[in-house]
Amino acid sequence: MDALGIDLPRLLTFLVGFTVIAVFLRMFLYGPITRMLDQRAERIRDSLDAAERASAEAASSAERVEQELANARGEGQALIAEARDAASRLRDQEVERTRAQVDEMLDRAREEIRREQEAAVEEVRREFAGIAILAAERIVEQSLDEGAHRELIDRVLDEGLDARRN
Amino acid sequence: MLSSPKAIAIAVFLLAVALISVLGGALGAAFGGGFLGGAVPLIQIPSELVTHIGGYKLVNTVVMFGAAMLVLVLLTWLATRKLSEVPGRWQAIMELLYEFFIGLAESTSGKTGRIFIPVATAIFLVVLFSNWLGVLPVVGTIGRVETTQEFFFHKLEKKLAEGNQTELLEGLHHDVGKNGEGLGHFIASHADSEDLQKYLGKTLETYGEQRFVVFDGGGVRILPLGRGEDYKVTLIDIAAYDIADPVHPTEEDVVKIGRRVDESVAPGPVPSSEFFTENPDKYDGFEGKRVGLLVPYLRGSSTDLNMTLAIALFAMVSVQFWGIKTLGIGGYWDKFIGNPFKRNPIDLFVGVLELVGEFIKIISFTFRLFGNMFAGEILLIAMGFLFPLIGMIPFIGLELFVGFIQAIIFSVLTLMFGAFAIMPHHHPEGDHADGAGGH
Repeated sequence: MDALGIDLPRLLTFLVGFTVIAVFLRMFLYGPITRMLDQRAERIRDSLDAAERASAEAASSAERVEQELANARGEGQALIAEARDAASRLRDQEVERTRAQVDEMLDRAREEIRREQEAAVEEVRREFAGIAILAAERIVEQSLDEGAHRELIDRVLDEGLDARRN
Repeated sequence: MLSSPKAIAIAVFLLAVALISVLGGALGAAFGGGFLGGAVPLIQIPSELVTHIGGYKLVNTVVMFGAAMLVLVLLTWLATRKLSEVPGRWQAIMELLYEFFIGLAESTSGKTGRIFIPVATAIFLVVLFSNWLGVLPVVGTIGRVETTQEFFFHKLEKKLAEGNQTELLEGLHHDVGKNGEGLGHFIASHADSEDLQKYLGKTLETYGEQRFVVFDGGGVRILPLGRGEDYKVTLIDIAAYDIADPVHPTEEDVVKIGRRVDESVAPGPVPSSEFFTENPDKYDGFEGKRVGLLVPYLRGSSTDLNMTLAIALFAMVSVQFWGIKTLGIGGYWDKFIGNPFKRNPIDLFVGVLELVGEFIKIISFTFRLFGNMFAGEILLIAMGFLFPLIGMIPFIGLELFVGFIQAIIFSVLTLMFGAFAIMPHHHPEGDHADGAGGH
């Protein structure tokens, strides 16, 4: 022990010295530093949680926006389809109505034409009566044969027609 | 790279320094150089006395331990003065250290592992700074000169104590000062004592070849440069060069020795005028100087076995404490022997070995650190001796690295032993640590 220089007072000096410094480091270095480390770990954990929550929230809101967008798109499409439907219905109706009108107009025109025709025929007939009367007057004036008859009628007709034409 | 004149100048300068260092060192001394060679200082395992404080002997390693403690207090102040969640540089370094140990402890023992941290990190820091401060240039080179008188006094005192010469010891303590003042007079005045003759002879027999360095004066000295080993003289040369049989001195011889022991203290012809005039070549330039041993004021505290033993004891006591605290006294005892009658013989044998191992660990801790650091110190001295100026440079780096590694080894092993200690006993072949491993 002597050759190695180990002696009790010196050993105790180091032992006490080491104990003192170990206690000192425990109180003033280890304590504060680990407290700080734990505090920071806590803080980081909290921040991570908050970030996670925020990102989850963001994800869910994005989903909601997507959903709403999809809804809006669907609604829009439905609206467009409806509008298109309505437009086509409207057009059909319009076409139908126009056709009806045209038909009506045609009918009316036809009716008118018919009436005009009838009126014309009536007039012609009335004219004819006059002409016939006229012809009868002439017939009475002249005796007539078959050939003369026909010529007479034709002449009356021609006259009648010419009178109408002028 | 060597194209610029600046680079060439630097290269030439470095080459010149290297050349001077080789020529000036011990190697160059063989060819007439050696002008830078320092004398190799006293290398001894026990730490050296700096001064007495009352009855307490203050040694240089204790001084350095105090310095290491101061550095740690400073470090604590630096690391914790502005404690914040966004750490400053010092705080970050200490956090790194604690996180490393906490990580290690929690990976081996889970949350319980935290109980090891204060002790393991204190060991790390104390050992690290003890090691690193020991590499500083002022350590081991500045000190007081221990005179031949003082040296002789302590050795004679030791020999007398070994021989149980209480009467002579009492006289010695009464007549001679603590640093050996008046030793020569005491020796001369007791020259007729046969016991003194005998123990003086024994002292010279054991320590006669001790070589003393020649200094320019007394007081605080720096290890002198130049002359290297030539600048040394042995105890025999100083005190008993012309005595036919120094191991068995006669009354006449003792008177001579006493006179020379006192003479060698005062600046003057060394070793003694007659010897000096008879050997003018060997002791050229010794005139007017003093001989003695350089006792460094500072020596790395981990080069003292007391220090390494103290920390090893602290570590192993802590390990036992953790084991008992976690497992209870019975549970902890069960790791080793438990109930010897209920245990199978192999298991019992292993348990006994492990119990012995706990004590072996103290010894392995003690000598691993001491051996590494003491060897490092000697390595630096030897390199300074062989290649002054540059020889130490790479080895200083090496020593800083070794100092760090030793600190890690000591603290991490403590932590690991702790981790093993708190594991309950399971299998006979598990749970035993390698106490003798290491660097």
